[in-house]
Formats: sequence, C-alpha cells, structure tokens
Amino acid sequence: MPQKLKEVDVVVIGVGFAGSILAKELAAAGLNVVGLERGRDRHTVPDWQVPAIHDELKYSIRKGMMQNVAKEAMTFRNHHKEVALPMRQWEAFLPGTGLGGCSVHWNGQTYRFQVADFIYKTHIEQRYGKKILDPELRIQDWGVTYQELEPHFDRFEYLLGVCGKAGNLNGQIQEGGNPFEGPRSREYPNPPMKEQYAGALFRKAAVEMGYHPFIQPSANMTRPYTNPEGITMNPCVYCGFCERYGCEHGAKASAQTVVLPVLMKNPKFELRAESQVLRINLDSTGKKATGVSYMDAQGREFEQPASLVLLTAFALNDVRMLLLSGIGKPYDPVTEKGVVGRNYTYQTLSHVWAFMNEDVHLNSYMGAGSSGTLIDDFSGDNFDHSSLGFIGGCFIACGTTHARPIEFHPTPTGTPRWGAKWKDAVRRHYNHTALLLLSGSSVASRRNYLDLDPTYRDAWGLPLLRMTFDFPDNDLRMSRYITRKAGEIARRMSAKSVSEEPRTGPFTTTAYQSTHNTGGAVMGTDPATSVVNRYCQSWDVPNVFVVGACNHPQNPTYNPTGTLGALIYWTADALKTRYLKNPGPLA
Amino acid sequence: MNRNDMLRKAGLTLPFLGAVLVAYTTAQPVPTDSAQIGAQIVAQGTARGAVACSRCHGFDGAADGSGAFPKLAGQSPEYLEKQMRVYASGERKNALMEPIAKRLSESEIQAVAQYYASLRANSFAAKPQTSELIARGEQIAKVGDLSLRVQACESCHGPNGFGEPPAVPYLAGQYRQYTSLQIQMYRRGYRKSDQMKDPAQNLRDEDVAAVAAYFEQVSRPASK
Repeated sequence: MPQKLKEVDVVVIGVGFAGSILAKELAAAGLNVVGLERGRDRHTVPDWQVPAIHDELKYSIRKGMMQNVAKEAMTFRNHHKEVALPMRQWEAFLPGTGLGGCSVHWNGQTYRFQVADFIYKTHIEQRYGKKILDPELRIQDWGVTYQELEPHFDRFEYLLGVCGKAGNLNGQIQEGGNPFEGPRSREYPNPPMKEQYAGALFRKAAVEMGYHPFIQPSANMTRPYTNPEGITMNPCVYCGFCERYGCEHGAKASAQTVVLPVLMKNPKFELRAESQVLRINLDSTGKKATGVSYMDAQGREFEQPASLVLLTAFALNDVRMLLLSGIGKPYDPVTEKGVVGRNYTYQTLSHVWAFMNEDVHLNSYMGAGSSGTLIDDFSGDNFDHSSLGFIGGCFIACGTTHARPIEFHPTPTGTPRWGAKWKDAVRRHYNHTALLLLSGSSVASRRNYLDLDPTYRDAWGLPLLRMTFDFPDNDLRMSRYITRKAGEIARRMSAKSVSEEPRTGPFTTTAYQSTHNTGGAVMGTDPATSVVNRYCQSWDVPNVFVVGACNHPQNPTYNPTGTLGALIYWTADALKTRYLKNPGPLA
Repeated sequence: MNRNDMLRKAGLTLPFLGAVLVAYTTAQPVPTDSAQIGAQIVAQGTARGAVACSRCHGFDGAADGSGAFPKLAGQSPEYLEKQMRVYASGERKNALMEPIAKRLSESEIQAVAQYYASLRANSFAAKPQTSELIARGEQIAKVGDLSLRVQACESCHGPNGFGEPPAVPYLAGQYRQYTSLQIQMYRRGYRKSDQMKDPAQNLRDEDVAAVAAYFEQVSRPASK
C-alpha cells in the first residue's frame, strides 16, 4: 500500500538544468517544492575528483554517468512495421541520470537557435513555397518567437557565464562574432575560449574561402565568473575531459555550479534523490494532476500530492512519463492522429577528417568541450536552398573537444582496423589530424515518433519507451551537400589526405552520434499538432508543465541546450507572473 | 640520497662546484653550457648584481628549512621561469625577488630554472603535526570541501600534489610556512592566478594551515 505524503505546492520530476532552475525560481517565490531525482545526489565535491574522474574506461566506454540500462532501457526500430528490440547499452545517444542530469557531463556548447528556426514553416514556405518539402516532412512553427525568448536566452547565458563574442548586438553586426546569429541585447558575459591550433588553420582556410569563422560559444569558463545567483565558477584548464565527465574544477556550467548551491539552501525546497517516479496521478476527470507516485531506493512506494507538476526529466523520459500517465493522446503514424511522441527528431551529424603532414603538431588533447572554431554559413537557412532540393543545414566546427587515448585514434580510410598497420597509422596520425564536425538539422517526418513498447518493461514493471526513427532523405541529401563543402575547407587547410564521412542511413544505435534527442512533446498553438501550449503547459492537464528539448517541433542546426535554457526561463516567467496568480490554461 | 648523490645526478659534483668557485674568483671563465651557467649563477650570482640564489634556496634547492624560502629542487622549469618573469614584471610582488629577477637575462633565467629543475633534493624533516590537522589537510587536498566551495587541490596540482608540469607546481614536500603564505598572497592579490583566486578566498585560515601542513609531510618520489 503506497504511503500518502503531505501535499506540497510543486513536484519537480527530474532535477537537471530545467528542474533545478524552475525549482529555484518557484521556491524563491515562496512555494514548497519537492524535487524527485531518480539518480544519486552528487556534487563537484566530493564526486568528481582526479584522478578517478578522468577514468576513460569507466565514463566514456562504460558510460558511468548514464541511465542504468539494466533497469531502464528503451527499444528501437527504424520503421513502424519492424519489431523494436531493447538497447542493451547506450551508444548513439547517452541519457544521463543523477542530480544535475546531463548538465554534469555535457560539453558546454551553448547556442541560440536562429530567428527563422522558431517560425520555420512560415519562413520556409514564404521563401521557397511548399514544393521544396518532401511529402513525409512535418515542419511547424513553435508558437513562440526569437524576439519573445531573447531576454530569457540572455538570462540563461548570464546564469551559465557563457563565453563568446557577440556577432549581432541589437542588429549591429560585430567583428569577430557570428554575423548570422539573431540580435542579442548585450555582449556575452565572458570572452571566448582560446583557439586550438587546428581551429586557427581552419579559420585561415575559411576566411580565404569567404566564410565567417568565429569561436564556439562555451559554458566552460575563460575566467573566474560570479553569476547573478552569486555563485562563482573557476576558469577552465583545457584538460579535454568535458563530455561524459563531471568537471573537477567547477569550470563547466552545470546545475551544480550555477544554481544548486542556492536552491539547496532554500528551506522551501526538498531534494529526494534515488526516487523513481512511476506516473503522474490524475483525478477522475483526467484533466487535473493530483501529484505523482514514486518508489524510493528501498522499493517503498509513495504518493506525493501536489497542486503543480513540472516534468523536466530529459526529452525521452518526459515523453515516456506522459504516455505512462495517460496525459495527451499518443501519436499514430498511420492515421497521423494524436500528438504525444509525434515529431521526434534528432541531429544529423557528419565528419570530415583532415590528415595533416607530420610537421603539423595539433596537440588536440589540449581542448575543452566547446573550444572549436566554426562557421555558420551553411547553418539553418543561412544559404539559398532553392536549387538544392533539401531544407536545413549544418554548422561546420573544427577543433577537438578532446583527444583521449582510448577514444581518439583517427586513421585514413582504408587503414586496417587492428594489428601492426593500424598501430603504425595511429602513431602517425594521432597528433596530426584535424576533425571537422558537422552538426546538422533534423526535420520532423510523419514516420518518426516515440511510443510505449508493447513487449518490454523496466525494473518497475512499466513499458519501455519505443523509438521509431530513420533519417529522412531530406536530411541525408543535406548532409551529403554540406559535408562536401567541409571537405573543401579541409583541403584548403593543406591536409595531406581528407576523409569525408557524410551521414548515411539507416540510423543505427550502435555508434555515438549525438544526445540531442528532441521533440515528442512539442510546443505550439494548435492542440492537434502540439502536446503543450506556447508556455510549455499541457493542453490536456493544465497543472502539468513539460520543459525540455522534447518541446522542439523540429531540431535546427545547433545543440539544443541554449534554447532549452531560454524555454526554462520563459516558462518560469509564465508560471510566476500568470499561472500562480490564476491557475488554469495560459493559452 | 645525500647531497653529493643529488648533485652528481645533476651532472655536478662538489669538486666541480668548488672548481667553478675558484675559477670565478681568479680567471673569470665564461661557461657556455647552460647547466654550468645555471650552477654558476646559483653559486655566485651575476656580474649585473643578481645575488646568488643559493644564499636562500641552497645549492641543492632545499632552501634553509626555515620555510621562509621555498624548496625549488625538481620544480617544473617552465614554472620557475615564469615566476622569475612575473617577479621581474612586478605582477608577483616580492621585495626580495623583484630586484634579483630584474637583473637576470632571459637566458640566465632559463639556466637557473634548468639547474634547480634537474635536482632531486630531500627537504629537512617536516615538523610532526597532529593527526587531526593532517587529516583535515588531506581531505581538502584530495576531496575538497563542498561547504566552502573549494575543489580538491590535487585536481590541478596532481595526485599527491606532485605537480602537473609544465604549468602547475608541486606542493608535496614544500614548506608549510611557504605554502600558507602563498595562499595569503593570492587572497590579497600579491600573486595573481585565475585558478587560485577563488580557492584562496574560500579557504579559512585553519584550512590553509591544515592543507599546507599536509603537503609538507608528503614525500616526493626520489627520481623521475
């Protein structure tokens, strides 16, 4: 018999970036907030200490910070007529777990989506007409604009201390920044990171070819920074252990380094770690959440009543929790009815390897998660697509996030995969290879979606999430075209040989690509094509808000965290200024 | 390892140093090898008026054991060079070292740094401290302190405080008085470092004493 606990004002499901920022805002507004985190309570001190935190085998290969696949996996298939099978280890993408969520082990690349990205359907149809779209594609506007989100982007970037150079200040293009970005109201809080040697070579080639290089905006600090919450971060030392690792220096913005120290001191907030939420409970009408049910680490079930439920458990988990709780109608790919799980998108990654002469010492091990040099000339709709036969784009970045010994051993195409010749090639190329990474958009397709698996269940007896996904042809054509452009830059960098690796189908879960799982609980202005309204509030159950990259109707070029951050503050603002005064539907 | 062994390891012997001393006072030969130039400056100073480093830091880089002067033996040469440059520029404020560093040329700075870096000296025996103090120091060194928002010293200074050359100096075996004074210097702005600023501000005086005492009693490996 579950134990029923005393009612609180707010329950937050998942205490990562979104959960901790929203909890902090609402607890500061005087509400009693309980944060339920399925993973451990963890902090820079004592959990991320050298030398143990630099254990590549534990964290990179064995995925030490990720969701426990033995307890909670997900199933996958490329097409809805196939049978999905459970993933037994994480490879293509890496859902995190534990206090702070993915903010602990991310790279810190913090972009804003472009002005056109938020009005994508309107923009594309105005510029090219409807015919440019393949019939399977389902693009739509967000229901919120860049201009509305700008103050919230700004607030998130100042919370994190993002390091960069503005390219567009209030409409004025700035030297040294990204001229394609949306207008910012002020400069970044901190100067950009140091440029890697490979990045400098890339910059030179890009300028010669007429492109517009700039240094990647980074949430790894370039100097000591005290954020508006009064929390100080230390500067990054370029050790090359960002992604998949916690930062022992407190130099990478994470929930632990930007907001939790304030939140944890507020007596209005209570963290309950190792608490697995089973479902959001609804009343008999199905239109009101009464709280959540969860199980603690000892297997005791609790019911936590609450007047407001915030679902902030990472994109994939958010969608699953809605489905498990019966909130919103599940999407059906045949009839195209239903919305939960619809418009699941990803990121279309590709690579170009530039193998340089032996006298070019790149020392790529001196890197940080976000110290690349990049061009935005082929991002989003920054170039004319009218004769290209696809929509979308990629940024092209050069500079490695790390050159860790187990994971980083680039060799030219045709090198044997093992043995003496492979070893010779690794020795020859390790310090002389530049990576050009292309992060590309992912357009929603009617075929790609998330739902509950009919067969496989987790350790708590609940159905696993099932992913049905393959790359739309549009995205593969896009990747081919821009990867070729990146290859031209690599040759201009005087590479001795160049390997171009455009993205090819089918999508497979067996090789790492990106953890930018987006969509599935998208925002919008029409309940027939969105799960939440423009304030990330459930259309069906108005006292449930869902905030995550699952809100993205389709995924533009960039890493989603910066835009997610803007949505977090946008939602916090709507909650504080409107919802709390008059609880009910905001749109 | 005794002092003779240490000097021999560095390619020097006492008779050699003696010969240099004698030669310098009589015929003033000009050594050309960088290690010899370093040894000569350490022993005698320079004609431009930089006083002999050994007066305070010793021939063996172990200094005098008072803790007023740091041990330099086996320290990262790049770190030592940088310190002499920032003494000269006034960025690191020190009334004793500034005039000396200002009188050293770039090649002399490198030679002195190479000389001390090449040595492997033992310190004078550390004064026994209470086990509570050492345990507290070890906690800050290896784990950090969440409530003070201080990360582990070893995150940058390497396992056991052995240093992370070229940029980060070792702390193991360093005199506790010197280490605590330096943290005070960072706190008050006489030394500048983006990395050290925040920890120096956040550590309380008793924590500074503990961490300095802890590192003082850690032995560095006898050889590379």
